[in-house]
Amino acid sequence: MQNSHDSGRRNFLKGAAILGASTVAGQISMAQAQQNSGGTADSGSGETVPHRSLGRTGIQVSAMGLGGYHLGSAKDQKEANEIVEVAMDAGINFFDNAWDYHDGHSEEVLGTALKGKRDKVVVMTKVCTHGRGKDVAMQQLEESLRRLQTDHLDVWQIHEVIYETDPDLIYAPGGAAEALLQAKQQGKVRAIGFTGHKDPSIHRRMLAHNFPFDTVQMPLNCLDATFRSFETNVLPEAQRQGIAVLGMKSMGGSGEIIINGAATPSEALRYAMSLPVATTISGVDSMEILEQNLAIAKGFQPMTSAEMQALRDRCKTLAADGRMELFKVTKKYDGGVGRQQHHFPSSEELPA
Amino acid sequence: MTQTSGSIPLRQFGKSDVKISALGLGGHHLGDAPDEPTAVRIVQEAVDGGVTFFDNCWEYHRGKSEICMGRGLQGRRDKVFLMTKVCSHGRESALAMQMLEQSLRRLQTDHLDLWQIHGVSFDNDPELFIRPNGAAEALRKAKEQGKVRFVGFTGHKDPQLHLKMLNVGFEFDSVQMPLNAFDSQFHSFETQVLPELNKRGIAALGMKPINGHGEPVKGGVVSAQEALRYAMSLPATTTITGMESLDILHQNLAIAQGFQPMSPQDMQALRERVKPQAGDGRYELYKLSLKFDNPEARLAHEMPLDMQSVEVKEMVNATKNTGHPFPKVS
Repeated sequence: MQNSHDSGRRNFLKGAAILGASTVAGQISMAQAQQNSGGTADSGSGETVPHRSLGRTGIQVSAMGLGGYHLGSAKDQKEANEIVEVAMDAGINFFDNAWDYHDGHSEEVLGTALKGKRDKVVVMTKVCTHGRGKDVAMQQLEESLRRLQTDHLDVWQIHEVIYETDPDLIYAPGGAAEALLQAKQQGKVRAIGFTGHKDPSIHRRMLAHNFPFDTVQMPLNCLDATFRSFETNVLPEAQRQGIAVLGMKSMGGSGEIIINGAATPSEALRYAMSLPVATTISGVDSMEILEQNLAIAKGFQPMTSAEMQALRDRCKTLAADGRMELFKVTKKYDGGVGRQQHHFPSSEELPA
Repeated sequence: MTQTSGSIPLRQFGKSDVKISALGLGGHHLGDAPDEPTAVRIVQEAVDGGVTFFDNCWEYHRGKSEICMGRGLQGRRDKVFLMTKVCSHGRESALAMQMLEQSLRRLQTDHLDLWQIHGVSFDNDPELFIRPNGAAEALRKAKEQGKVRFVGFTGHKDPQLHLKMLNVGFEFDSVQMPLNAFDSQFHSFETQVLPELNKRGIAALGMKPINGHGEPVKGGVVSAQEALRYAMSLPATTTITGMESLDILHQNLAIAQGFQPMSPQDMQALRERVKPQAGDGRYELYKLSLKFDNPEARLAHEMPLDMQSVEVKEMVNATKNTGHPFPKVS
């Protein structure tokens, strides 16, 4: 079922990419008129993807990152190698992953693809404690390092903070927050953070502890702004604390925003990349999608605030019930490990 | 507050002078009864045992629940307070009126005592309800035409959404919501919505006293008795619970007929006891997943359908080509 879903999505996105290309051409003139939004967003040279600072870490990251889940869906290692190589040639240096993606397969694939290239990239992976303590986290870290064939991570984040009780469990004595600090102290990770796709109020509770996070990851797209919004409720707080923001789900998670015609790939990605974020992580499971995304990122011109507002307004009706942000209103995007730890049914029993 | 019929306590329905039984019979589970004669007997024995509040919904088992209840209520209709729900889910008033006629026909009656908007689940449902030509107009019209006596809405998702509905400027007679000990600890209707209803004199109808399908009883966290007693001890007008067998009916009748409210101390002790399992919503999937959102709600909002849901299976079945030119009319 996963496969047919993937290939359906691929075809849709491919069709939409043609549409997207002409949109990019149309909008370069807009940027040439210097109507920039005045944020931190920068422009692409057309040759390479622009780079930005990862908050206060001193690390420079590409404004577009390569999502690890979708990389594990590539048809074989050869295609994954090619995706990684072409992405790097275009200037992509930020690579996302998680301990539980495809039961470790995503990390293994990325580790293999990065052989001999490790020092040129920023590798992030996530730890899947879901309420369990420091020891489990440290053990998963060792597994991630082994699969990724490296001795350190650039960014290590707590994965899927999406359950109401997660913040308390993470900050409990002996909880996962302690593991982040310890790993950093041991030099096994350079920067630490957390991610989640569910509810801005849970993110806010995570950020209320003044914990020294370097990064925080969240869904940011042109529909989010008007529905249970991370852009409105979390992004400003992260900025206030000087935490680098990593955007994700710019197209709804599985291209829902594109498939349903709410926005073109170019509009969706440009919107997300025009926000004050360090990078926008985008999943790529084929060369076609990669080429589409790279074209957008290389030619990146930030949207003006007026353009961004027009897009938000246009998407408002479709955004209002969450149909294209299923990660907020259903269980569809909630991973198996978290469900298990919180005693929820598996995705087979409870798909959404 | 209590007076008895059979021996189940009766409580006042909102600001009206109507009284309804503190235990109500849920319509969805009625469609899960092994066969129609059993369903009919459940309805008959429930009425005879003092249950006067009957819940139903236009889409439960694709009309089967309403049909069974209509048959069970033959000769007993005037003894009960009959409610069903309309599955407009943001769609227009004309569709709601059409559903009302179907419900009346299936329930074999010329009027409903209560007609409620079903499953307010999505953030834009309140706006869609109150918009020109929205379902609010159907509720008003049906009341004017004397086809329904009272109107309300239901939902199991989000207390904030209930409050939003309560503030669209429509005068509701009743509001239905999940009320159980777990709810008191997680996105709580008891804490956020119930006091507002009591303040406004709107009838509060509790549902999911055992969390929908008895999940915490199966999980060994509470007993069915304490779960039901907890819900019935809240300041709500009735507690609607599903009964798909005569055994469950008898068990519930025994609890309701001899009902003694829990003391505030016992209620607090139960809340504390369930707290460790209540905090992440694992026993209240209706708040966090689409599981309890029936297909009409999902279709109207273009949410993914669940092919395992009984309604979806029935929907697929009902549209199968049988080879007969016309449907069989019973």
